[in-house]
Amino acid sequence: MFKTLIGRELLNNLMTFRFAAAVFIMLLLVVANTVVLIEDYDRRLAGYNTAVKTHQRQLHAKKTYSGGTSKLVVARPPNPLSIFNVGFDKRLGNEVSVSHTLVPSLWDARMHGSDNPFMDMFASIDIVFIFEVILSLLALIFAYDTLAGEYEQGTLRLVLTHSVRRGHILLAKYISAMLCLLVPLLMSLLLAMILLTTSSVISLNADDFLRIGGVIWASVAYLSVFYLIGMLISGMARRTSTALMLSMFVWGFLVLVYPNMILAVSPQPKAPQTRTASAFNQIEQMWEEFDRERKHFLATDAFPGEEWDFGIKGWGGLYAYSWDNPSKLLYTYESAMEFRDLGEQYATEIPHTQNYFRFLGPRVINTAERTWLIRKPALEDIFIHPANVERIWLKLSPAGLYDAATQAWVGTDVLGIRDFFHAARQHRQRVINYFHDKKVFGSQQWFTTDEGAADWGSLPQFSFQRLDVNTNAKRALPDVCILLMINIVLFVIIFLIFIKSEV
Amino acid sequence: MSWHITLFNITWRELYDNLNSLRFALTTVLLLALMVTNAVRHIREHPQRIQKYHDAVTESQGRLASHADDSLYMLAQRGPGYLYKKPSALYFCAAGGESLLPDRVEGGSPFGYAEDLTGVWKLKYPDANINLKRVGPDVTKVDWAFILCYVLSLIAILFTFDALSSERESGTLRLMLANAIPRHTVLIGKFLGAFISVGIPFTLAALVNLLIISTSSAVHLTPEAWGRLGVIFLIAFLYTCLFLALGLLVSARVQRSAVSLVILLLVWVTFVVFTPSTLASIASEFSPSLSSEALWKRHSHIQDELWNKYGRWLWSDELDEKTLTAKRDFFTQDAEGEERLRREYLTQQIAQVQHARAITRASPVTIAQHLLESFAGTGFERHVQFVENVQRYARQFREFVVDTDRADAQSLHIIGVREGMSKKKVAPEAIPKFEDTLNFNKDFNTRAMELLLLTLFVVVLLSGAYLAFVRVEV
Repeated sequence: MFKTLIGRELLNNLMTFRFAAAVFIMLLLVVANTVVLIEDYDRRLAGYNTAVKTHQRQLHAKKTYSGGTSKLVVARPPNPLSIFNVGFDKRLGNEVSVSHTLVPSLWDARMHGSDNPFMDMFASIDIVFIFEVILSLLALIFAYDTLAGEYEQGTLRLVLTHSVRRGHILLAKYISAMLCLLVPLLMSLLLAMILLTTSSVISLNADDFLRIGGVIWASVAYLSVFYLIGMLISGMARRTSTALMLSMFVWGFLVLVYPNMILAVSPQPKAPQTRTASAFNQIEQMWEEFDRERKHFLATDAFPGEEWDFGIKGWGGLYAYSWDNPSKLLYTYESAMEFRDLGEQYATEIPHTQNYFRFLGPRVINTAERTWLIRKPALEDIFIHPANVERIWLKLSPAGLYDAATQAWVGTDVLGIRDFFHAARQHRQRVINYFHDKKVFGSQQWFTTDEGAADWGSLPQFSFQRLDVNTNAKRALPDVCILLMINIVLFVIIFLIFIKSEV
Repeated sequence: MSWHITLFNITWRELYDNLNSLRFALTTVLLLALMVTNAVRHIREHPQRIQKYHDAVTESQGRLASHADDSLYMLAQRGPGYLYKKPSALYFCAAGGESLLPDRVEGGSPFGYAEDLTGVWKLKYPDANINLKRVGPDVTKVDWAFILCYVLSLIAILFTFDALSSERESGTLRLMLANAIPRHTVLIGKFLGAFISVGIPFTLAALVNLLIISTSSAVHLTPEAWGRLGVIFLIAFLYTCLFLALGLLVSARVQRSAVSLVILLLVWVTFVVFTPSTLASIASEFSPSLSSEALWKRHSHIQDELWNKYGRWLWSDELDEKTLTAKRDFFTQDAEGEERLRREYLTQQIAQVQHARAITRASPVTIAQHLLESFAGTGFERHVQFVENVQRYARQFREFVVDTDRADAQSLHIIGVREGMSKKKVAPEAIPKFEDTLNFNKDFNTRAMELLLLTLFVVVLLSGAYLAFVRVEV
């Protein structure tokens, strides 16, 4: 009996105009947008490659180690799966300095730009956005008359006279409609995958396919939520026209209005001014303490005078300054010397300068690391925490949950982007270790080329690998689970209403 | 029965049906909620925006006055400083992607070739100051443009998808036509009925919105702004008509309301949600590509030539006219060369965007969005106008320096070199002020074209609906 029910429902759904229209529109939009998105990814990848080359060139142009530290920059490659959900991939900084003077964080990043930033005004559409808007609409269009239509036509009474259990009817309707809705979803995804794999710019590995599998899973859960919402409305409204109208408004509210309106209405988390001020104060004090030590060293060393440049003048340049940005708790001290062949003339000064920099290098690293211990939790409180509150507000709509879950799967959420900065910090540590190993802080190459230029060739190379799929799964699971739970709750409610309803 | 009484009756019946319906209630609630959100947000944020602008302008002018107090040479070297774009009071109508546009042009940053050897100022066009610190979720601004283009168009479809098909389904259409009511009267009646029923909640919500905004002391709307709001209202109604006509067209052709709605929703989704951005992305593929690297290569080429030509004068401390003139020529030609390159690059960027925008006009949504932006005084066209204002002012500023210098008989009239210029101080009041004005007569053609295009869409769809309805069998 159950099979007959499913068969009937399937046939009912498949032979409709809406099914054909759904398949057509999904294929059209997904294919058109995938082509555009691949082009866009290609452009960003080219931008990344140029940036990497530029960084290398600028670094190798520096002849001393101290001159080069400010040019130690690492870049974040675009995420190939951003085609599915672009998330923060294009919005947050994609290159950051890994100089020993500062522990880098997301808030110190820069953007290697495109050639026409004005083009960013045109919103980009990713595949998940298409699903978010269209799948939910399709689900409601399939669902609005599933119960109400049968009430109206009286066919439900007819079916129930055959001693069919009501639960079976509901389940049959649900399963068959979901099967029908999966057709456009999977077909369009399949086409998108074909385009992705045949394109020469994008190379996907096994993990990426698992991630895409996660996106599909989330999409099915999202689709099902909206189908069940439609079914619920259909069961409660009992008339198709009312059900349709309600469904459309619910859709408009959940997908269009709520995500855009809620952040305007929700209480704005106050920027924790005092937190910023106190943390910055602490950081400033540490650097002032560092500066006192530095001055003390200069005053007590064997060389007369307190000048840090030891009166050296020559072909090249030097700078020393501290700079800060209280709003993002940034404070650092940079100093560098880049001299070409000082020669015999400065034979007495050079050892003193070496001594000074041998003292200075580790001190700067130490202070930078100590301030990072304060800066890290403070940044968390000031920036991440309010953003998380906003995200929770958005997740009250299934569309927000779906967006968050897919972002986590493809790794374009904030956590995924922050992985890059974590990798950058590790790379900085590697560079520092390399400096220590080669004893560059006390070497002449640190500030002059008398004993040869700085050797950048054997510096550890940076390449950012996204974390494995387990991490993505761990981050996505809470949201996917909530989606699944909403499914179950909705189904139970529909079941209860349907059981008790009079036919 | 004369035709206008029939028309009145049909309209009235339609209106009555609609006003009692669920969709009318839901529409009213939805639009009110959106409009109130918009107003509250505006009165919360706009004063901050204005304050920020005023602070920036004051700071910039303070710097200018201190340069003027030094000497005319300082003005010629440092230039007018940062010039800011004035925020529009009608920001709540259309945000127009302002956060992705730069808010200033920099007229300053003379190049320091060496100590005691500084060039003259030039105009620089910085990129938008995108907030890389922000890790919160990104959402669209709920402005009138959003409410209109997305929500109101959807509502218009929901009010008309069953206008004719449901009457045909229930057989009442046959009844009506049997009473010798001409078909066009039925169509117009339906149209007017739906128009008024959508117009009522929208007008109500918009008036509440304006009431909140205008009673707040934080925002001041000038009579001219009210005039522009009137035009925006007209555009809103025209745009609603378009979707009503589309609904009637499909409803007239299709036998069943459910099918009619499915078609309409899919058309809506394609036109409203996807066409604008997809078309723009495709357009950007075909537009000429730019390269900032090529720009910098040309720049260094120019500089090399200048060095070869004037290099030997630059390190000389002689104060004779020849050295000074050579220095002047070097400084001004270098700055002019760089400014020209930057301007060319900007022009190319703007051309690329305008090309993309022209193509996206295939979707009426984009047309409406462009129109709203241009009447609200925000968005890309406004930015282009701001840049033109700045460029005009830059010319004015340079002329002012030359004229002031000419008035001083002791000066050698060699602009850009300290020793060659007037030593007198300049009264800050005498310096021309930068006025970022919004000129609506300019670009009138584009706007008129867009308005006509929108009207054309409405007319085509309405006549399509008429033809479809006349030919259909009841």
